[in-house]
Amino acid sequence: MAGAALRLVTNNENAPPSSGDVDTASLIRAVADRGDRAAFARLYGEFAPRVKAFLMRGGLGAVEAEDIAQETMVRVWRKARLFDPAKASVSTWIFAIARNLRIDHLRRRSRPEADIEEREEEADPAPLADEHVDRRARDARIREVFATLPPNQHEVVLMHFYEDEPHSAIAQRLNLPLGTVKSRLRLAFARIKRELEDLS
Amino acid sequence: MNHHPKPETLAAYAAGALDEARAIALAAHLAMCVECRRGVADFEAVGGLALEALDGESMSPGALERFWSRAGLQEKAGAAPSFGGDIRIPEALRRHIDGDFDGIAWKPVSKGFSQAVLDAKGYRSGALRLFKIDPGIRMPRHSHGDAEFTLILKGAYEDELGVFGRGDFADLDGEDVHGPRAIGEEPCICLIATSAPLVFRGLFEKIAQRWVGV
Ligand SMILES: [Zn+2]
Repeated sequence: MAGAALRLVTNNENAPPSSGDVDTASLIRAVADRGDRAAFARLYGEFAPRVKAFLMRGGLGAVEAEDIAQETMVRVWRKARLFDPAKASVSTWIFAIARNLRIDHLRRRSRPEADIEEREEEADPAPLADEHVDRRARDARIREVFATLPPNQHEVVLMHFYEDEPHSAIAQRLNLPLGTVKSRLRLAFARIKRELEDLS
Repeated sequence: MNHHPKPETLAAYAAGALDEARAIALAAHLAMCVECRRGVADFEAVGGLALEALDGESMSPGALERFWSRAGLQEKAGAAPSFGGDIRIPEALRRHIDGDFDGIAWKPVSKGFSQAVLDAKGYRSGALRLFKIDPGIRMPRHSHGDAEFTLILKGAYEDELGVFGRGDFADLDGEDVHGPRAIGEEPCICLIATSAPLVFRGLFEKIAQRWVGV
């Protein structure tokens, strides 16, 4: 599975930066502006199976994963108006929705008595004012840096975002000492940070 | 602010991989730090790329039709995430983050040092507590056995790594040894997050364990 993921990202290298995004962002806009169901169906085709795969990589069963993927897409449909391309790309936005739903799901499963209402109150927190962040430039640079990470770092970074307990899961899957996993991740994340230093 | 979380810590937060206690401590720092919010947003963008990189897992037949009826039934969907770190801090703690420490049930641990244990149960439980250290009081030098986050909410302390004031974040490895001493005129109040269960090995940890009562 990791091999397939690598191949896809390599393909992205040859595409103009964020070309995929322009497309999905305009689909979201069509959904937000006029409830365009055809546009949404295309987004759904693009993202629902990926979100399902993401959740299954994190250890959820196919049924749970599909249920949460559906819920993720419900939020995309309902919240399309809140999507702001100046704040995040479409994939980043959907990734964050799915990540939060995964945590909420696991939290409920491990602690069924946890009060759901407390969570509901947190709905749509006011975005913090982050002036002077050029998100597009940073995203383009991140895409570039990510595509050129050494393969062994690239692989662990991907897994770091998929796995539920990343360090131990990566160590086990790749049969590497925990220290090696941590240092590869450390190097990769430090490099991404460094490569963004000249951007606002 | 001079001390910030390490990049790998921001990335772990972006991936949703931190335990509850550490995620809360980190979110509390994000609430005060624009720079780290931008850092988390950067790593969320890596998460977006990771999502793009996946081969999709086929949805079961009729999934889109079921989606439409589900979307139609749900008048109000839940929260959409905000960016630069989706900041989710329990209401009870938000007050303390803002600098209001009234009504905390402090438990004295030793002279000039008290603590209050906070609820941080969740999917990955961690231990979350507030420390209050009077000026001039030094904690015994100790390490942690596992990563520890400390966020200064009020006052300041000084240790081997420097001076930490409000908003500063100590992102310590298991191997880091430190002995913070509260400085200034007012007690130093900090939020401490560790993963659970803590494993105490050395002498210093044992001392800390007795002090803190974990
Ligand atoms: Zn910071």
